[in-house]
Amino acid sequence: MSSSTLESSPAVELKDTLKPPKKPSAKLPWLLLAPSLLVLAVMVGYPLVNLFIMSFQKYERAQLMGVPAEWVGFKNYTDTLADPVFWTVLARSFAFMVVCVFLTMAIGILLALLMMRLNKFFRLLVSVGLLLAWAMPALAAVIVWGWIFDTQYGVVNNILTKITGDNWMGHSWLINPWMFFLVATLIIVWQSVPFVAFTMYAGLTQVPGEVLEAASLDGATPAQRFRLIMVPYVRSIMVVLIILSIIWDLRVFTQIFALQGIGGIADKTNTIGVYIYQMGMAQGHYGSASAIAVILVFIMMGISYYYVRQTIKEEEL
Amino acid sequence: MKRNRLVATTVASTITLALALTACGSGDSGSGDGASGEAKSGDIRVWLVGTDTPQEARDYLKTTFEKENEGSTLTIEEQSWTGLVDKLTTSLASSDSPDIVEVGNTQAPAFTSAGFFKDLTGEFDTLGGEDLLPAFVDAGTYDGKFYAAPYYAGSRAVFYSQQVVGDGFKVPTTLDEYVTQGKALTTETRSGIYWPGQDWYNALPFVWENGGFIAEEKDGKWEAGFSSEGGIQGLEQVQDIMNTASRAPKDGQETDQQVPFCEGNIGFLSAPIWVQWSIKAPADAKAPGCPDTYGADLHAFALPGKEAGKPAVVLSGGSNIAIASKSKNPDLALKAYEIMLSDGYQKLMAAEGLIPAKISQAEFLPAGEIIEAGAAAAATAKGVPASPKWADVEAKRYLQDAFVQIAQGGDVKAIAEKLDQQIEETLNS
Amino acid sequence: MSTLNPTVTGTATAAPRSSGSGPRRTREGQRKKVSNAMYSVIAVIVFLCSAFPVYWMINSSFLPTNLIRNKDLTYFPGSAFTWQNYEDAIFNQERAPFLPALGNSVMVTFFVLVISMVLAFMASLAVTRFNFKGRKAFIVAILAVQMIPGEAMMISIFRIVDGWQLLNTIIGLGIVYLSGVLPFTIWTLRGFVAGVPAELEEAAMIDGCSRSKAFWRITFPLLAPGLVATGVFAFIQAWNEFVMALIIMTRPESMTLPLWLRTFQQATQATNWGGLMAGSVLIAIPVVIFFLIVQGRMTGGLVSGAVKG
Repeated sequence: MSSSTLESSPAVELKDTLKPPKKPSAKLPWLLLAPSLLVLAVMVGYPLVNLFIMSFQKYERAQLMGVPAEWVGFKNYTDTLADPVFWTVLARSFAFMVVCVFLTMAIGILLALLMMRLNKFFRLLVSVGLLLAWAMPALAAVIVWGWIFDTQYGVVNNILTKITGDNWMGHSWLINPWMFFLVATLIIVWQSVPFVAFTMYAGLTQVPGEVLEAASLDGATPAQRFRLIMVPYVRSIMVVLIILSIIWDLRVFTQIFALQGIGGIADKTNTIGVYIYQMGMAQGHYGSASAIAVILVFIMMGISYYYVRQTIKEEEL
Repeated sequence: MKRNRLVATTVASTITLALALTACGSGDSGSGDGASGEAKSGDIRVWLVGTDTPQEARDYLKTTFEKENEGSTLTIEEQSWTGLVDKLTTSLASSDSPDIVEVGNTQAPAFTSAGFFKDLTGEFDTLGGEDLLPAFVDAGTYDGKFYAAPYYAGSRAVFYSQQVVGDGFKVPTTLDEYVTQGKALTTETRSGIYWPGQDWYNALPFVWENGGFIAEEKDGKWEAGFSSEGGIQGLEQVQDIMNTASRAPKDGQETDQQVPFCEGNIGFLSAPIWVQWSIKAPADAKAPGCPDTYGADLHAFALPGKEAGKPAVVLSGGSNIAIASKSKNPDLALKAYEIMLSDGYQKLMAAEGLIPAKISQAEFLPAGEIIEAGAAAAATAKGVPASPKWADVEAKRYLQDAFVQIAQGGDVKAIAEKLDQQIEETLNS
Repeated sequence: MSTLNPTVTGTATAAPRSSGSGPRRTREGQRKKVSNAMYSVIAVIVFLCSAFPVYWMINSSFLPTNLIRNKDLTYFPGSAFTWQNYEDAIFNQERAPFLPALGNSVMVTFFVLVISMVLAFMASLAVTRFNFKGRKAFIVAILAVQMIPGEAMMISIFRIVDGWQLLNTIIGLGIVYLSGVLPFTIWTLRGFVAGVPAELEEAAMIDGCSRSKAFWRITFPLLAPGLVATGVFAFIQAWNEFVMALIIMTRPESMTLPLWLRTFQQATQATNWGGLMAGSVLIAIPVVIFFLIVQGRMTGGLVSGAVKG
């Protein structure tokens, strides 16, 4: 077999297979969709409409008790967009997200590939290790990580003291915003890699072994095999994972909020999720919080625009 | 998250307030519902927050209520301070609202100002009137109407272990002496005055004693005073202590302070008086203290003021209780509410060292150095600005951030000015 | 399944497995051995890194509290080993008992897991195997929905649940979680279904299977890894969620495990570190068990069949 076969066959073949067969549209697909649609329309659609409406109102705690809300037009939006704090927080969240997504995806994919190569025992070992990280309640995870980096009783300080001989006890890891985000990144990547690794692994197992074998006999390097054969098979899953990671990491709330309680300076470490929470639940300015949320959704739509367009195009086939 | 609750206001403002309240009492609201007479039977749900309320008091409330109101039941549901505001804003506005809720006194204005609590102006006198702790009445009052009575006040004291300070130790009589002694007690590992950076409660006495203030209302506008002359002086003193007398984490929280204390690494620990139980907890407790070592000779004094013989003005925490507007059975709830303010109930609270809801009930406080120190401090305690917007200042963590930066050795003047600007912006918004 | 592989791989089938001359094979074999050993070493390192915080949690859960918060860290329980924290967590939390919270969590998670899997499966099938008007809109909507920050929707969602009088009920919380995981599960499963070529079914149909039979016999087994991955996701989400549970399940008897865990850390008393750690372990155990079951049943078999060679 020549390398030309290698390059042409799986990709072309896959493109065909991804096409939904042109079945005459009938009631069946709607029947299949109906229950999901119902749940989503009620539990997501309705609150979403509500969110949108609230973003044009002065909606505070009193409104929860039935005091009619006052319409304020675009005031919530203009206030938010004019607030330099919002832009700082947004930029910070964005940078944080990019780093987290990149690390999560890179490590996740490498681990998935690693799992393909391992025998049953070691694969199970890795799976269990990853799963343990994933299964840990976010709250417990922050507590344990906070403890690992604790100023007075931290594992890291303890180990560093033992290794270097200097006294690290009392060194604060969270007080410097850069270090704060280093710790936050560690926690987030640690908790999101398992999902990416498992999903990628599940996707990769769908790649027929014979194709890979043939490719390797043809002298394709591992990198080539990955890029030319595996990626086309798992492309849709990979893109889904990237988009989801972007969404999740941009919205991150629990971990940052809990870490701020342990140490650090909130003003310099707020992310957009925490900012929305502060604005809405903590201070009761639900109208402004809704406006920020709407803006955020638009921004995310912007980020994923290319992908959405691609999806639509492909689905057109 | 931790709870942020402070005792409020001075005596002077309280008297005017009490007058205003009695004036309101004869007014439009409240008395109407009360007149409906016999309450129908039902179940009353009471939300108590955290573990402060002792089990004896809980039992007393339940049995007394059920005995006095035959056919009715009372359920106590313990809630956490964590996420309490979220929970109250949703539950109190829902169809499944509890009937009586406990709320931190600095959290109360957020609810009284938005109609979450039933107006009790008509009941003010029967509930205790001017005998109720004035600072808390203030916290539970909005726009001339009374919504939430005091539940109890916590108090603060400075703890020390005799073994650490040595036998020749004399309790400091002035704030400056306190600082000097604290510095002298400091070693490589020991904090003379233990002070984690996020702990802004302990910083306010220094601001106040030096003539500074948090924020004052002038002609309807709030003006913050950390960058006033006295404020800066106080903050500089705070920074000095944090830098030279404290080995606590510069961005740490004031939780679990019994741990360093039990290591013998704390000279003075200024903390709420319940911390004594953590320090004295037996070795087989869920969170053991050190009853046999540093906790064996635990002592306390009230933080001294600038002038000898007067305790410093401190912040002390506490709770208010209120009846939910959406309570399905407000008349019955009021009966339980009255029990919670009664002597029989408050006596049991006082036994734990909690300062009772009524001034006259203070006699129930057990004797003892620590509780007396706490009570002495509480007598002159001062609160945060009485504005519903104050909760926003706390939610944004402005004060924690400022004090962490001060602990880091930042420029006090610049930090104070920024803090003032943030507070003014929030309170005047 | 093995009979199907030729159809999938097309041109590659002919690859002779046992080809290659003697010496080359041994050299490759050696290299393979070396790299296998290397992979195993990496696997162990990954395991250690990933599991260390968990180890720390487990280690602490077996220590008396005064050793947990201590300047001299205890890296292994040794003689200090105690079950006390577990005993306390399970039996001695009078105001927040463990078993009812466990029961609630199990019920709500089961509800979410089963229903979300069924619904998502149906929906992903609809959007990949059929072409109908509104399909694209649905797909885009499913993605867009996940971008909405949950913190901003809390109030509205709460009020819906309240409107149905479902506060403090398993179903109320379950529906909230369901709507939370559904977009994700549909979205992910869709990728997996799309990865299984419809031609497979068609080929089987040519061989005389009915469409539905072809589907159940061929496509469904191939979807197993996808179902497992999304199922584990739904399980973990429902099992660990805290914020919505906090406002919906306010009565002590309707508490779920994450809420229960919070009771170990109270603002006005010393933290029960031992209980907190033991509680975290207790919460994590069911997830691990669940995973081991599904992983053994589904992925394990499939993978060894597909990858070995």
